[in-house]
Amino acid sequence: MKPLNLTVSPSPHCHSGARITGVSFSFLVALLPAVVLGVYYYGLDAIRVMGASVASAMLAEALIQKLLRKPITIADGSAAVSGLLLALILPASVPLYVVVVANFAGIIIGKQCFGGLGANPLNPTLVGWAIIRITKTWAGFLDFDLMLINYDTGFILQYPLAVLKAKGPAALSRFDLVALFLGKQTGGIGASAIICLLLGGLYLVVRGAIRWEIPLCFLLGVVTVSGIFWLADKAAYASPLFHLLTGNVMIGAFFLSTENGSSPVNRWGMVVFGFGCGTFTVILRAWSIYPDGVVFSCLLMSLFVPMLDKLKAKQRIERPTPLTALTKTAEERTPL
Amino acid sequence: MDIDAHVESLDMPENLILLWSERARTDLASKVGDRVITGQDLARNGRGPFISTATGQIRAIDDFRGPDGHDYLAVAIKAKSQDSFDPTLKAIEDIASAAPLELRWAINRAGFNTLSSISSDPTLWPPVDVVILSALDLDPVSIANQQAFREHGDQVESACQLLLRSTGGSRCLLAVPQNLSHVAHNISGRTATVVLVPAVYPNGLPEILARKYGAGLLMRGSNEGVVGNTLVVPIEHALAMVECLHSGKPLVEKTITFSSGQNGKPKNFRVRIGTPLAEVLHKAGTEPQPRDKLILNGIMNGYTCFSDEQPITSTTDSVHLQRWSEVFAFQNAACTNCGKCNAVCPVELEVNLLGRFSEYGIFEKCLALGAENCVECGLCAFVCPARRPLVQFIVHAKHAIKAETFRAVSMKEVMDSDTQGPIPPAIKLFDTSPEEDPSKE
Repeated sequence: MKPLNLTVSPSPHCHSGARITGVSFSFLVALLPAVVLGVYYYGLDAIRVMGASVASAMLAEALIQKLLRKPITIADGSAAVSGLLLALILPASVPLYVVVVANFAGIIIGKQCFGGLGANPLNPTLVGWAIIRITKTWAGFLDFDLMLINYDTGFILQYPLAVLKAKGPAALSRFDLVALFLGKQTGGIGASAIICLLLGGLYLVVRGAIRWEIPLCFLLGVVTVSGIFWLADKAAYASPLFHLLTGNVMIGAFFLSTENGSSPVNRWGMVVFGFGCGTFTVILRAWSIYPDGVVFSCLLMSLFVPMLDKLKAKQRIERPTPLTALTKTAEERTPL
Repeated sequence: MDIDAHVESLDMPENLILLWSERARTDLASKVGDRVITGQDLARNGRGPFISTATGQIRAIDDFRGPDGHDYLAVAIKAKSQDSFDPTLKAIEDIASAAPLELRWAINRAGFNTLSSISSDPTLWPPVDVVILSALDLDPVSIANQQAFREHGDQVESACQLLLRSTGGSRCLLAVPQNLSHVAHNISGRTATVVLVPAVYPNGLPEILARKYGAGLLMRGSNEGVVGNTLVVPIEHALAMVECLHSGKPLVEKTITFSSGQNGKPKNFRVRIGTPLAEVLHKAGTEPQPRDKLILNGIMNGYTCFSDEQPITSTTDSVHLQRWSEVFAFQNAACTNCGKCNAVCPVELEVNLLGRFSEYGIFEKCLALGAENCVECGLCAFVCPARRPLVQFIVHAKHAIKAETFRAVSMKEVMDSDTQGPIPPAIKLFDTSPEEDPSKE
C-alpha cells in the first residue's frame, strides 16, 4: 500500500478568521457617520482634507517601508485609519501641506521608526497633531474660531472650549447641550459629531475591535475630575456634561486612546490608562493654555503604557514534588 | 447545542495496534508470535499493566513516535473476532467495603491510565484533595462524556464513591455541562457536589476545570515528581471503571466522534481500543486524500496524525478529518499589540509578551512570565488578527525552559557529588552572567 502523506502541524487547527485588515475596516465603518456629518457641514473642504490625509498617511507608510526594505503593509488599512483620524480632529480649512507634513511626521516618527504597527509607543495620529500644535507658525491652523469663520453651518461658529477658556462658564449658556450632542458645534471635521462617534465607538466595542475598558474609564475620568472641579467652584469650571460633549473627548475615548500599540493590553492597565487620559484631559482644559487637552493627555498616558501593563497578577509556578516525599509509608497507606 | 446521541458499533478489526507510552521493548513480557487473550497483562512484572484489548497473536512490536510528540512502544495484534477474557481479572462485588488499595490495584489492572499516569505503582499514588468527575467533553464536537453521563446517570453515585475511596480524596465534584442539568437533577446520592459548567471551550479541559472549580491545580505526574491537588477524571472513564470492577473485565472499548469538513454531520462510534483510524474512516464512508489533516481530540488543542494507521487509544475522544482546502496556515507577522490573546487566555498569561520573547529566544523572560502554566488551549492563536503562531511560540519556550531546568538540575547534581571542589554557587536558570576564567586566578 502506498503511504498516505498527511499534513501535520501543531494545534490549533482552525482560526476565528480575524485579520488586521478586518480591524481597520471596522474602524473605517465606525467613523463613517462622523465623516458623513463632516461632509454635510463643511462640504468639499472636508473631503479635500480627509482625502489628502488618508493618501499622505498611506504614502508615507509605503515610502518608508520601501526605503527600509520592509514588506509594504499599507493594505492592512492601519495607515488609512490613522490618516483619517488626523483629518477628523483638524478644521476643514487647514492647508493641505500641513496635513501632509503632519501625516509624514506621524507615520515615520511616531510609528515606523519603532518597528511599525503594534510597536509604536505613541499614536501616529496624535504625533502628527502635536507637531502642528507645537510648530509656532502652524498652531493658528488649530484655532477653530479663525479657521471656520467663512463657513455657514447654521450653528454657533465659536469653539465651545475656546469660549470656556476665554470667558469662563458664564458664557456657556448660549450652547444647548442637546445641540452639542447632535454634533451642532464648531470643532474638528469629525470630532464634533458626538452622537456619530458614540454610535461608532459602541459598534467597535460590539465588534471586538476595541476593548470597553479604555473608553469607559476615559469618560468616567472626565466626568469624575470635571465633577470635582465643578462642585468645588461652579462659577469657575464647566459642568461634567459640557466637558463630555465638547472637543475631542468622544473621539479620544473611542478612537484615539484605544490605538493598539500605544495603549495597555491588560485589564487594570487599561482602567488606569483610561482614567488617567480622562483626568489629564480635564486638568489640561482647566489649567493649561490649550482649550482642549485630549491629545496631550493621551500622549502622556501612552508613555506610561509599559509600566501600566505590569499591573497584573504574577504567575505562580508549581514545581513538581518527588513522589516519595508525598506518599506515606506502606504502614500508613493501608488504612487510608 | 443538541448532540446526536446515536452510537454505531464497529466490528473487531483484523489488526489492532496497542500503544504504551514511554516504554521500551524490555518492559514487555510477551514477544512476537505469542498468543494473547483479552485483558492479559503484556508487561513484565512490576512495569505496570499494559492490557491486551483483544484475543489473538502478536504480529509485530516496534518503537513509535506518537503524533503528540511522545515515544511509544507499539504492539500489533492479529485479532480474532471472539474474545476470551483473562481469568486472573477478578470482579469486586461490593466497592464500598473493598480496601482502597485493592480498588487501586483493580483499576490499574483493568487498564485505566487516568490515575496510573501519575505512577504505575498504585501504592505510590499521592494524596488527592479534590476529585472532579467531568461530564464535559474536551472538544465541542465530541460527545463521549455527555453520552456516558446521560446513559448511565444511575451509576454516577458508585463512580464517585469508587474514586473517593480509591484515591483518598476529601471531596468529589461532578462537573456537568449546563445543557445536561436535568440529568444531574435525577442523580440519587450525595457523594458528589454538582457544579454546572457552561459547555463552552475551553471549560472541558482538565486544567481549566481544576483551576476554576477544583482546588486549583491539576494533578500531573512526570519523572521528576507530582504537581497538583485536583484529579480530573472523564466520566466515561469513571463509569467504565465501575462496570469493569463489577464485571471483572478489562477496558477494551471507547466511544469516539468522527467529524469531517466544516459542515459535516458528526458520527459516533463505539470502537475497540487499538483500532486503526483507517477502519473508522472506512466505516464513516470517507477516505483521507493526500495533504489532508487527521486530527485527534479536537481542532483546538488536538494533534495531527502522521498516518491513518494511528490507533484509537483509551484517551481518544474525537477524530476530525480536515481537508487540505480547510487547512489554516499561520503567518510570520509582527504582533500588533491588540491584546486579544491576553483577554481570552484562561490562565491569564501575558501572551503578547510571551510570543515576542519566545520569537527572539529570550526564554528567561518567558520563564518569569509563567510560560509553563500555559495549557495550550489554542484560544490565543485562534483570535489573533495578525495570525501569529502563538501556541507554537509558547510551546517552544516551554521546551527551552524544560531543557534548561534539566541542564541546571543535572549540573547541580554533578557539583554536589564533587565533594573535593569548592561549594557550588546556587544554580540559576538561564544564568547569563559571564563565566569566570580560571586561568586568571
